[in-house]
This record gives sequence, structure tokens and C-alpha cells, in this order.
Amino acid sequence: MSARRPLNNGATSAKSSPEATIPPTVRPETPSNDAADTTSARKQPPPEKPSDVRRRTYVILSFWLIVLLLGLPIWWETTTIYRANLPLSEMLDWADGKACRPVFPLRISIQANSLHEQEAQNLLRLTQHALDDLNDFSGHHLRLQLSPPAAKEAEKDDAGAALTIRLIPGESTTSTLDPYSPILDITYPPHTIPSATSSSSSLATYVASQLRATFAEEQAIISYLLSSDSMPSDHRPQGLTPEAADSLSKRTTRSLKHAPTYHLTFSLFTSGPLPSSWDIEAAIAEFMKPVLDVLSPIHNFTIDTQVQLYATPGVQNQVLTKEDLSSFINAAEWPLSPSIGGAPTVNFIVFVGNQTILAAPQGSPDETDRTSQSWLIPQWGTVYLLPLPSDTTHVSAEKLKQPLLTFTSHLLSLTGTPQSGSLPLRLSTLARIRSADLLLRASSTLGSLARLALALPSISIPESVADGVSKTMSHLRLACETLGGAEGLGHARIAEAEAERAFFEKSMVGQLYFPDEHKLAVYIPLLGPVGVPLLLGLLNEIKAWRKRRRERAEQQATKKKE
Amino acid sequence: MRQLFSLLLALLSAASLGCAASDYHEQLVLRPLPLSTLLASFNFRSNITLSAFEAHNFDLFPRSLAQILQHAGTRELHLRFSLGRWDAQSWGARPWDGAREGGTGVELWAWLEAQSDEEADQKWRTLTNALSGLFCASLNFIDGTRTTRPVMSFQPEGNHPNVTMDNMHLLYGVLPHEVVCTENLTPFLKLLPCKGKAGVASLLDGHKLFDASWQSMAIDVRPVCPSGGECVLEIEQTIDMVLDIERSKRPRDNPIPRPPPGHELKCESSKSYHSGDTCFPVDYTAGQEWSLNQIFGKSMRETCPLTDPSVPPVCLQVPESRHVYLSHGAVEKKNPDGKSRCFEIEPGTGFELILPRLESDDPARSAAAEIITPETPLLYAERSFTGHGQERGGVQTILRNPSPDTKVEFIYMESLPWFMRIYLHTIEARIEGHSGEQEPLIKEVYYRPAVDRARATQLEVRMRVPPASTVFLTYDFEKSILRYTEYPPDANRGFDVAAAVITILNPEKNGTRYAVYNMRTTSLLCSLPTPDFSMPYNVIIFTSTAIALAFGGMFNILVRRFVAADEGPEIGSTIKEKIGGKLIKLLEKLGKAKAVGKTTVTETKG
Repeated sequence: MSARRPLNNGATSAKSSPEATIPPTVRPETPSNDAADTTSARKQPPPEKPSDVRRRTYVILSFWLIVLLLGLPIWWETTTIYRANLPLSEMLDWADGKACRPVFPLRISIQANSLHEQEAQNLLRLTQHALDDLNDFSGHHLRLQLSPPAAKEAEKDDAGAALTIRLIPGESTTSTLDPYSPILDITYPPHTIPSATSSSSSLATYVASQLRATFAEEQAIISYLLSSDSMPSDHRPQGLTPEAADSLSKRTTRSLKHAPTYHLTFSLFTSGPLPSSWDIEAAIAEFMKPVLDVLSPIHNFTIDTQVQLYATPGVQNQVLTKEDLSSFINAAEWPLSPSIGGAPTVNFIVFVGNQTILAAPQGSPDETDRTSQSWLIPQWGTVYLLPLPSDTTHVSAEKLKQPLLTFTSHLLSLTGTPQSGSLPLRLSTLARIRSADLLLRASSTLGSLARLALALPSISIPESVADGVSKTMSHLRLACETLGGAEGLGHARIAEAEAERAFFEKSMVGQLYFPDEHKLAVYIPLLGPVGVPLLLGLLNEIKAWRKRRRERAEQQATKKKE
Repeated sequence: MRQLFSLLLALLSAASLGCAASDYHEQLVLRPLPLSTLLASFNFRSNITLSAFEAHNFDLFPRSLAQILQHAGTRELHLRFSLGRWDAQSWGARPWDGAREGGTGVELWAWLEAQSDEEADQKWRTLTNALSGLFCASLNFIDGTRTTRPVMSFQPEGNHPNVTMDNMHLLYGVLPHEVVCTENLTPFLKLLPCKGKAGVASLLDGHKLFDASWQSMAIDVRPVCPSGGECVLEIEQTIDMVLDIERSKRPRDNPIPRPPPGHELKCESSKSYHSGDTCFPVDYTAGQEWSLNQIFGKSMRETCPLTDPSVPPVCLQVPESRHVYLSHGAVEKKNPDGKSRCFEIEPGTGFELILPRLESDDPARSAAAEIITPETPLLYAERSFTGHGQERGGVQTILRNPSPDTKVEFIYMESLPWFMRIYLHTIEARIEGHSGEQEPLIKEVYYRPAVDRARATQLEVRMRVPPASTVFLTYDFEKSILRYTEYPPDANRGFDVAAAVITILNPEKNGTRYAVYNMRTTSLLCSLPTPDFSMPYNVIIFTSTAIALAFGGMFNILVRRFVAADEGPEIGSTIKEKIGGKLIKLLEKLGKAKAVGKTTVTETKG
């Protein structure tokens, strides 16, 4: 390797480096014989000392060692993005429904105080058979048990059983659902009791069909929830008709996201200055509080009320069509901001005005939900049009009765309570539906997070996200094991909250955008001028080394010839 | 929840009284000022009983604000949005004795109930963030560096019977850079029970309000416990604005000012050279004439039906001798003091008021007959920067007491950004023209030094100004250099320094009011040394080049061999040969990797 210089003879002042040992006799020729000189063979520099060659090799090697062993790790350490380890495959399993098979075992206890132990056991066995024959959906499972005859039903059975069947001897086979507690009374004529040997019994079939009818809606909703999610198809129940699925989907989109606390805002809007006060406290206490009390094991409610004058609706028509209803709420001017704090807000609006709603056409699926006075806005609340004489200054509690009853029934559908059955049954069903819903939501959030982490390799994942994910998964596991009980709902709730927190971690968004152009602008000015000499030096050294090896080989070959 | 309901039931009787009409009060006071300006003071006040407030039955009280107050444990709240400068020299004393105004930008102070300072800070953050959303203002930028805890300047206005003062934390935050605009007025109007749709509020309009020479919007929430009555939470909303009458009268569809045509010029006809083509303009204070429609762009709509009928909605402060034309249905009532008159408006009718020009032959007398001479304020204050350069500076406040016989004692409060490091030892107050022995003017200093990037400087000085004298209060400060990312996008504009708050103390120590007069100086613009913001890339490229130069030279010396000129490989001397040689080399390289260097001399020739 040598420093290549333009051989412009005298112009080149041969700077003598320590290595270039030039004897004084071989000075550049005079310009006159320049042309002749270039055509002749050039002088060879004296051969390099092996120690010099070795030293150059060492220099280049040490530079490269420093770059590789010190520079690269430092660069890697300082520029790498922290990505906490996420159990991606497990997360995706949850999202695909492979990790948990949601099963809702419902225990149903049978009280047959008038039957003998043996008879009762037999009846139970037959009924269980009949039930298993009827059931086509593995996720929802009814299991019968016999409660001890003398047990105090109130304390012992309610704890574990979803429903208690009381078998009472009577004249004909009838069944009545107790409206205030989860008890199904079935009367039976004594002769229908199956004998110990019979393999079928009309009473057993009757009980089974009654049970199935009672839980039909719950089963439909849960199977709808599971089927709309990305559950594997073998879990999917068959026989959900499109119409049923349609009405269920309407109902689920209508209901609010589950939260432990809901905030209810009652607002009185008028387009003019009157009325300016109302008896809302009395009306709520009288017409709504009983239902809120019943719902209190599942949800807490906070309430506030307001009166707003001079509120012009978004639509001024006298008769409101279905299209008008969506723009009736004047979102820009009406102060309906959601409440602060985490609780979702449900708005109940009494609008004083004599507008009427064009009745929905007969036979439309949601006809039952719509009177000519009010309409429900999915996941948001209800508007009730209250016609009043124009000089009313105060709205009495009596006049608020109808609006509040409407609000109450809408509140039930906004919270997603099923429509059939007695109230306690509906509420226990609500708890199960909610836990299934939360479980699925948390799982799908985990799946989204996993997909996000896979799709954006440059996103940083802080430790808190990994933490949230692990908490979510442990609670999901617990929830999956205890589905159907109160515990399951609690775990599902925590899992959902943790999953949301992990997904919406703020610091993940911050570093999302760091364009590659900036990296280029920072690296190129340094790496270009430093990297090129290093690289060329290495290449030349490799070439020289190969040349030396070849020469040595040739020398050896000639030696051998000799 | 059950508790809530039992509370609800218990309150039924009390709440059925609800929000009676007399709980709401609104009034507009119009006061013509010298120099063809008009002060319009809007005042709205409504109440809610504390029990109804705690039971969340907000009725006409704004629910959005009430929720914020409850969520942040706020006992008393004061929020100000201001713009412009009050010209005390010509306009005199401030409206409401300055109690309803703030410095330029946004000012917020509140008493929060909290057990500890940390809890108070937490609640303060909640409060500022929530208010920021409600009022579309950058209040969420009131962080630790803009928050102070004043010790002497503020006292609670309301009654706080159930709260021990130890648990009440006063926090004060200010955003001098905030530009107050229409988006702040809209939520302000939404808080009113009649919105902007009826009553005096129907005159408010963003175009006129923010075009005013000076304006201040205030929201005050405080608990009031009348003796013997139930405690109520009172919300008072105030808007004060000084309108330039000539400017306001410009038609809305043609807002560009143009020189008036010759026949509309008001000329001083007493001048000897007055003729058709020469005009000496008359003093423009003469001859104020306006109507509500002209200055606010619209007439007032029907009164808000919730107002207390005994309070007249509009008052005008002009000398008794002036005539006023009113719309149908309004009745004029002159006050016995001869300085103001109020108008009672029949429900359901609009209102319009025309103040005609005062025709008077004697120009000297007309000034007194036309407007009421403004009251002299207790104190004049101006504040400015002194010094030069990018390193140090000084602040000088000139405080003038116009009264010939009473001294003024007040608290001067500065809340300075941390990057202005003040030298407390340089603080000095001296009376103009006095030298030698005198009673010290500064009575007490409360100083809380700044912590870089964490806390603002807080300086409270209790001092006095003797009668008929001017006091200079000065101190020096050092400008610190900020980090690259701490500069705002418009760094060369400078940094706003909040107005100083001057609270003039009640001379009667046992008086009911703590302060008799409040005022704010103007805000200041402090320019800090600003770097060149392309600097990081310049630095990267410059250092890279230096490193590359040094490294390249060193590396080449270490690894290259130096030979004599005629021993090295030959390279063509002309450009053509050079390129030809390189091409051949390249071809050779492509053909087979061959070492270049000292051995290739002959090959390159070929």
C-alpha cells in the first residue's frame, strides 16, 4: 500500500515520511526528459519491512476492535428502545378464545319437602337427563342439586344456587315464578312422581322445559356474545336465528359499557324561560329509587339534576321524524358534559315542549321501546318530551311520574338487563352477562395490545404495560374459573380495567413518531467521514494480506520446483 | 347511595323552595368616561343553597362548574380573564374597587380544602385541568412553576363556618401569555341561567367585547352565610369593559377605519383660521352620543324572568341634567345622589337607550355637565424593566399616592417565573426627591425563592406610600439560560411576566373588608437570551467534521506507507488520463479482484 501521488515530477515535493527512505541519487528527473521518463519502467519503492506490515495490521485490527467491541455496544445501549417482554402468544390465545372456555355452570336446587329422598333423587336424575338432552350449547350449563328438605331456604340456598325450584303437591302441573326472589314454584299431581325404575317422566320433562324457558334469554345473550367475538366455532351455539341475533345485537349495542358506578344526570330543558323549577328529588325518591336499590349490588349510582332555560333543540319541527331524533339534542349548546371522575354518565332529559314523534311503523322490531313521548339514545340516555301549559313555572312530582317511569325502564335496558323473568332472576342474569362481556372485552384488548406490539417494532413498551398485562391475565384466569359467580364478575372487572390501562399507557404514544430522516441526519455526518477511511483501510489490508499469501505460495512453489 | 337518598328525602322540604326567582340578580351599569369611552359593567349573581349543592340538585346553578368544584374540593374560586390596560390617569378609579379584575391573561386563585399540601396540589391540578376544559383556556398549563401560595395578599371573601382555616389552602396561578378571546366568552355565557338569550347578557357579543380597550371577565364562587339564614353558595359573574365609542360605532359590515368625509369633521370653529378647507379638530371628549344598539351592535332583548324585579336591570351614570331617550315600556328612575339613574323594564319587552349629544354653548361648562368626573384612585402604579443586556435586568415600580393627606398602606405581590432570579438584597423603596433619614417604607417582606423548573418566585411586600408622594420600588434580577426544549415556539418575542397585584389594606383594622382597593400593574415582556434553534444540527455536523478530520488524518498517517514521488504508482497527469486510468482500474476490479498499490504500476499503464 502506498500513498499515490500525482507524478507531476518537480511539482511534487516528496515529503519524506520516516518510512520513505529515498536515496539522494533517485531524485526526480528534470522536466526536459519527462516524457521519456513516464514511458520507461518506474522505480519500485524498496520492499517494506515485515515489522511495518505487521504493525499496520495491528493498527487496523485494533481500530476495528474498538469500533466493534466498544462503539457498537455503546450505540446499541444508548439508542435502543425499551420493550418489556410481553407474553404475546398467550395474549393472542386469550383474544382468540383459546385460553378460556367460558362455561357458566348454574346450580339449581330443588326443594321437594313432600317427597322421599329416593323419589326426589330419581326425579332429579331424570330431569337432569331431560335438560342435557335439550341443551345444545355447552357454555351454558344447568346443574340440578337437591337441597336438604329441612333447610332454611333463604340463607343456605341463595348463596350458591341461581334458582330454587319448590315442588309442591297439587292438583295439576303448573309453575309460577316468584316475582321477588329467585324461586320457581311447581305444583304437581302426586301420580306424576316417577317410580324408581322408570326411565322417563312427564314431570321431569316439564320441569326441564320450564327451566329452559326461564333461562332461554340468558342463554341466547351469552351465546350471542360468544359468537360475535372471535371464539372458535366449536364453541359457537347453533340455532341462533338471524332475527334473534339481530335483536340481541341491537340490545347489546344499546347498553352502556359496564362500570361499577353510573352517574345519572336528570336535566329539565325548556326552550323558553319557563318552567324554572321542578320537584325532581321527590319524583326520583318515589319512582326511581326502588329500582336503583335493587340494582345496587351490581352498580352504584350517583345522581345530579339541573334546569336549563332557553335551550333550543337542534330540530325545531313540530312533528319529529326518526331522522330528526338523532339531531334533536343540541350538543353544542346544551350543557350535557359528562361528569368528571371515571363513572359513565347516563343522561335523562325532560324537554318541555309539545313536539310529537311520528310513531314508528307497525311491526318494526323496536316498536315496544318507543312511545310517542320519548326515545332512547343508545349508550347515552333518554329524552322525554313533556307537554305543559306555557305558563307553568313549577313542574310537580306528579307530572314527572310518567317520565321517570320511562327513564327507569330505559335505565334497565341501558344497563343491559334482560327483559324476561322476575327481577331477581334478571339481575343475576345481568351479573353473568356482564362478566362474560367483560371477560371478552379484556381478552380482545389484550389481543389488540399484542397485535400493536407486533405491528410497531419501534414502539416502546414500558414495564407498567407488562405489569398490567400480567395482572390482567391472572385476573382473567381467575374470572374464567369462577364464571357465573359474584367473584367472577369482580375478577373480570379488574381484568378489564387493567387491560384498558395497559393499552392506553401514555408513554407508549410519546415515542411513537421518531422519523428515520432524523436518525440519518444525525448519523451521516459522523459515520461518513469516519467510516470511509476505516472501511477502505480494512479492504486494502485484506487485499494486501491475500496478495502476501499468494506470493508466499508462489515462493513455496518455486522453491519446490527448485 | 342509600345515604344519598335519605339526604334527598330530608332535603325535600328545603329544596322545594328551589331556586326562587329572587335568587338571581343581574345588572348592567353604564358609565361614560373621558376621552370618548364608555365603561359597561355587567354583573350576574345567583345562589344555590349549600344543602342542595351537596345533594347535587343544581337547578339553575351551572352543573358543569359545580361538579368541578365538588370534585376538586374547592371552597372558594376566583377566575379572571382580562385583556388590555386600565388607563387610570384618565379613567380614574377601577370598577368594583378593582376587586373583580385580573392581570392581563388568565388569573385563578382558589381556596381548596385539603389535609396536606400534597393533597392541595393534587386537587389544584384537578381543578386547573377541569377548568381548562370548561373555559377553553390553557389553564392546565398552570403547573408548579406558575403556582404560588400567597400569604398576605388575599383573604377569603366568603364565610367558611364549617371549615378550619388550617385545612384551607390558597393557591394562586397566573397565565400572563394567555390571549382571552371569544372561545372563553361562550362558556362564560353558558353558565348564566338565561344564557345570552335574555336580559342584559343578550348585549354581550364577542366582537364588541374583545374589541374593547380594556375588558375583564370574572367568576367568583363563594359560600355566603347570611345571619340567621341558610348558607348559600353564590356565583358572581362580572364583565367589565371600556369601549371606545367611536370605534364601536363603526358599522359591522365596514369595519375598516377610513378618514371621515369633510362635512362630518368636527372642527373648532373658534379658531381664526377655521374655514372650509382648514379644520382644527375639537377635543374629542366633547359631544358623546350613543345608543345601546350602536355600541353593542344590538338592542337588549326582554329581561330575564328569573331576576329579582326590585333590582333595575340597567343603570346609567351621567349627570342629572342630561336627557336620555328610552324605548317603550321602560321607566327612568333617578337616584337621589344626582349621579346615576336606573331603568325599570316591563317584562317581555326589549330595551333601547339613546344618549343624545349635549348641546351647550359653553365648552368649559359642558365637560362637567356631560359626564361625571371619575373618582381619583387611591394609588397609581406603573411597572417597567430597567437595565440592559441579556444577563441582568431590573424592575422598577412607580407608586404614586395622589391623596394630599392620607397615607396608603398596601401589599405588593409579585409572582415571577423561576428564570428571573431576583436579588432580594437590592430591593429598595425610596421617595422621589427625598434623601436622608426617613421612616422605612417597607414594613414587611415575605419572600419564597424560586426553585429552578419547579417553583416560581413569590415576593410579597407590605409597604406604605406617604401622602402626595411618589415611591420607587426597585430590585435587580438575573436572567437564567433555559434549556433548548424550554423555549416556546416564539422565543424571540420574550416571556410574559405576570402583573403585580397591589392590595390596598383597609386603614381601619377592625373593618369588615380586608382590602379597600385592588389593582394590577401591566404585565411585562422579559427577553431572555435565545439560542439559534438550528444549533443541535449545526453542533452535530461541526463536531462530526472536526472528529472526521482529526480521525482521518491520524488514521491515514498510521496505516499508509509514504514513498518517493517516482516510486508510487503512476497516475495520469491530465484529467482525461486520470479518468481513463480509473475506468480501466474499475474494469479490472470487476474482472478479477486484484490488489492495487505499489505492484500495479505497469498494469495501470496497460
